[in-house]
Amino acid sequence: MPYPLKTLARSCGMAALAGSMLVLAVPGAYAEENIWPTLKEQTFGDRPIQENDGMVVLEAPQKVEDAALVPLTVRVPPSVKGKIKSLTLFIDKNPDPKVATITFGPAQGTGGERSFATRVRVDNFSHARAVLETEDGTLHMATKFLAAAGGCAAMQAKDPDADMTDLGKTIVRVFPPALESSPIWSGQVMIKHPNENGMQLDINTAKFIPARYVKTVTVKRDGELVFKLDGTFSISTNPNFRFTFGKGKENNIDVVIVDTDGAVFKGQSQPKGS
Amino acid sequence: MGEELREAIRVVTDKPIKYVINTHMHPDHVFGNAAFKQDNPTYVGHYKLARALGTRAKSYITASKEMMGEKAFAGSEIILPTMGIKESTTLDLGNRKLLLEPMPTAHTDNDLIVTDLKTNTLFLGDLLFSQHIPTLDGSIKGWLAVIDELSKRKADRVVPGHGPASMEFPQALEPERRYLTTVEKDVRQAIAEGKTLSEATKTAGFSEKGKWKLFDQYHVRNVTAAFAELEWE
Repeated sequence: MPYPLKTLARSCGMAALAGSMLVLAVPGAYAEENIWPTLKEQTFGDRPIQENDGMVVLEAPQKVEDAALVPLTVRVPPSVKGKIKSLTLFIDKNPDPKVATITFGPAQGTGGERSFATRVRVDNFSHARAVLETEDGTLHMATKFLAAAGGCAAMQAKDPDADMTDLGKTIVRVFPPALESSPIWSGQVMIKHPNENGMQLDINTAKFIPARYVKTVTVKRDGELVFKLDGTFSISTNPNFRFTFGKGKENNIDVVIVDTDGAVFKGQSQPKGS
Repeated sequence: MGEELREAIRVVTDKPIKYVINTHMHPDHVFGNAAFKQDNPTYVGHYKLARALGTRAKSYITASKEMMGEKAFAGSEIILPTMGIKESTTLDLGNRKLLLEPMPTAHTDNDLIVTDLKTNTLFLGDLLFSQHIPTLDGSIKGWLAVIDELSKRKADRVVPGHGPASMEFPQALEPERRYLTTVEKDVRQAIAEGKTLSEATKTAGFSEKGKWKLFDQYHVRNVTAAFAELEWE
């Protein structure tokens, strides 16, 4: 039986509304709905946040090509000497605006540029924000406007069957710096996981595909914590993280990933020389 | 567009329209379905078309309305297939057999190709782009594998999803194969060098610029999709 447009639009729109997602035709309408003050208060209470003070830099593409896969990179310039407590990423207009909170551990490294990169879903024209908490407890924010809209489809994988077949496959890589004595190294963690947001209508069952996404990612170098990430479904399908860590003895990276179903996935980098 | 197609058919024949075949999920290939509702046809598509279109319906409608304007969009409607093709199937129109073959994930995960056995004409949908840059919404490896398989076939002509009405086969596949091979090679190299996705989108495949229409609109998106696929190798 053909499904008329109205039925589909309504079903999808209902889920969208439940997640407080609004469809905007023009970016100009954005200014009228600033939800950041509320978000800020919920997350940080009345703590002051320094904006654009050079402690944190947020990079996003000027033109978003695929709203389901928007690369975001956060940089903490070498001029910031001390340790970092945490980093929180927001996309104001997403159904769940908090993308991830990353809490850093003793193996985070100092003495060079530190960075963290991932890929996110952007559901509407929205601000993206990176809030950095330094060792002294002060907050610093960088903001970028993202002109991207994906609607529910931004959440859809290109080849859902192939992705489900490989669910849990984890790759961990270490990229030694050009100068191996450098104190800051970089690594990557990627996992095959649909990161379902619960807003996809399965046409065969006429039900929404249940939400299932990566909840925590714990990354250690030689047994010491680099960071622990608490994530949401604003992170793209097949979550992908690039990060820096402090040079250690072996520089082996171990990762434990837990999703909302309680499934645990583990991965580790290939030891040097193998 | 759907209405124009129906009118064009009516100029040639007044025989009943029994089937409307969708080659894949993209709006420019399915929104015309509504123009044929009055004929009460069987809507035919790859067995994964319904799922793919269903999950994208809302954003396709929103995006198409914005692009075309409410007026041009009027009458458009998402109609899902009533006949899903999982294995090669022949439709007999009476002295005219059409062979329908579902393809593995390539341009999308729901590409269906049609061969008119009487004239040995291949209808490849968007598995074949000409002049208009190919758009990747499935799997680059899958698409190149499908091109390899198709190029071994013999056909008197091919009808691309975008491009001229008729082209010579299999030569028509070559520019697209070159584009996809270039993107695949460049993206693999960027990954091997430890580059990030955003770094790759600034360099990979740019030797193809100037060879395709709409390069600026779709190329970076293609590289993004290819990178997200190939980094798992």
